[in-house]
Amino acid sequence: MSTAARLLVLPVLAVTLVCGVLGVQLSHGGGDFEPLRPADPCVARDVTSQSDGIDGLTERLVLLGIDGAACRLEVSRERLTLDLAQGGERSDAEIQALHDGLLAAVQRMKKDGSLPKISDLLDEALDNADLNGFLEAAIRALPDSVVDAALKTDDVLSRAVEELDLRRVLADVNDQDALNAQMEAAIEKAVKDALVDRVRDLV
Amino acid sequence: MRRAVTPLLAVTVALVLADSAVVTLALPDILRELDATVGEVAWVLIAFNLLLGLCAVPTAWALTRTQPRVVGAIGIAVFAGSSAWCAWADSIEVLVVARCIQALGGAFALLGCLELLVAKQGERRGVATWVAAGVVGTATGPVAGGLLTQAISWQAIFVVQVPFAALAVPAALSVRAEPERAPDRHRPAVLPNLTLALLSAALTAALFLLVLLLVEGWRRDPATAALTVSVVPVAAVAAGPLARLLRAPHTVEVAAGCLLIAGGLVALAIPPSAHLGWTVAPQALVGLGLGMTVDRLTAHAMELRLPRVRHAGWTIGARHLGVVVGLAILTPVFTADLRDAEAPAEEAIASLVLDAPLTAQDKIAVAESLGRELSGQRGQVPDLHRAFEAVTVSPEDRPALRQLERDLDSQLERAATRAFRDSFLIGAGLALLALLTVLVPRRRREP
Repeated sequence: MSTAARLLVLPVLAVTLVCGVLGVQLSHGGGDFEPLRPADPCVARDVTSQSDGIDGLTERLVLLGIDGAACRLEVSRERLTLDLAQGGERSDAEIQALHDGLLAAVQRMKKDGSLPKISDLLDEALDNADLNGFLEAAIRALPDSVVDAALKTDDVLSRAVEELDLRRVLADVNDQDALNAQMEAAIEKAVKDALVDRVRDLV
Repeated sequence: MRRAVTPLLAVTVALVLADSAVVTLALPDILRELDATVGEVAWVLIAFNLLLGLCAVPTAWALTRTQPRVVGAIGIAVFAGSSAWCAWADSIEVLVVARCIQALGGAFALLGCLELLVAKQGERRGVATWVAAGVVGTATGPVAGGLLTQAISWQAIFVVQVPFAALAVPAALSVRAEPERAPDRHRPAVLPNLTLALLSAALTAALFLLVLLLVEGWRRDPATAALTVSVVPVAAVAAGPLARLLRAPHTVEVAAGCLLIAGGLVALAIPPSAHLGWTVAPQALVGLGLGMTVDRLTAHAMELRLPRVRHAGWTIGARHLGVVVGLAILTPVFTADLRDAEAPAEEAIASLVLDAPLTAQDKIAVAESLGRELSGQRGQVPDLHRAFEAVTVSPEDRPALRQLERDLDSQLERAATRAFRDSFLIGAGLALLALLTVLVPRRRREP
């Protein structure tokens, strides 16, 4: 073997091996094997739910609401979710951002047509409500067109968001019964107020 | 007995140098069993390397003034006794003290064995055997430690050393060797020893961090991790014939080796996934580099320098202090990076749970279970399986739940891999620094 070959072959071989290995690693995504980066909460995303009816509607509303709140607070929705799940005292800015985010979520769902009509949710709502049998039967007897003309889903949801004490909701986030009681009270109040305003408009 | 003397002395050299990294794969078990912190358990490695590094040169000085067979035999006996003490240690403090004594005995054993091997085989073959046994020990330490930890326990790592070392005591006493009374004519070989120290620091990244990534980050069992990192010693052994075939000059071979180690460490920093296969080629590069550098540099630092044992002491000092420097640089970096990786990992997990094709009730149940599990596993990469076992869903939702568990595990692997990246890259930087020391133009010796 010549002197030049003895000087050059091993370094060239080493460089080739290193470049080859690094090339293969990079061409298969080496360097990109990192944790998922949170998406920008200010960019609208499609939100779906595996549940139907009121549960599905609530889940989509909450997910879109958290997106909106995170966008206002300039954090990721994941960071906001983790912070909210840890409990403790919430700041006014967080409560206001959640309130605004939920209202914006209602408007967005109305705009994209993903809000169901009230008549679609009525049977499930009556099944869960603690009404006397006569009143329940009377409401069930109402035609869907009458129900939908009297109550608009976006109006009821917006009123319910205004009614909710979000600070208490967050404090009770791990207490399912307390949470349900607050939600039911807010929705009941929202439905009543919507109906009263509707009657006032008619009068 | 005569035929067994050389193998027993070579095995002793390999055992002492293997002890530098042999407990790496056992550290998680030691941490749990002795109820230690990560910082305390790191001293099981640091103490041994620090003591061995600091004691090597004074030990060599002692060996030039006393009978090598007596000093060597005492060193081997102390090493054997302290190995047994390590196995019986019932607290982290006792284990660290036992490791210090093990290193002290190891220093005498290591340099005593050099003198005895030279007396037995002659200068050239004796030094070559001593150097080769050291490289094999260094490279195979983590593999042997991992297999023993998985098969038996971490204590087995120390117990198995005792009979080999005990047999080496009469072997050492049977060799007639006079102390090397050569005058102290040569200064230590600064550049080869500096290169050795930098490469040892870089190799710490490969041998120490890789096993931690496999066991703690990717949650592989110690035996799997041990088999995976066996690529390094296999490639190191293969490097010898390759270098002989190409007949490259010493400096070229060492430079190529440094480049291979740096390249391998960069490749370990950027695996495309947590599949073990992606570590094979990078480890092969590191192993080839190890095989081309450490023995060549050690031999070069000792070549034609007297007294031989003193210059051997400098090489041992450089290597083990290099390991300590590597641990001192890399440990805070990767522990800080692991802490910093918690937030992105939590956010990735939250994102996947929020978007999982499960009902809202199931998502809440998963989130609550994960929260309980994660709060109990702060400071380490968590095992999410228990959290998922605690969640009950309807049969039709089970596939989605299993997929979510796989996705979350993948996120944890991604976070751990990202957390180790900077440390591997620092290791690569140390190997490139070593390359620079090789490329520095040498002054011509005065005639």
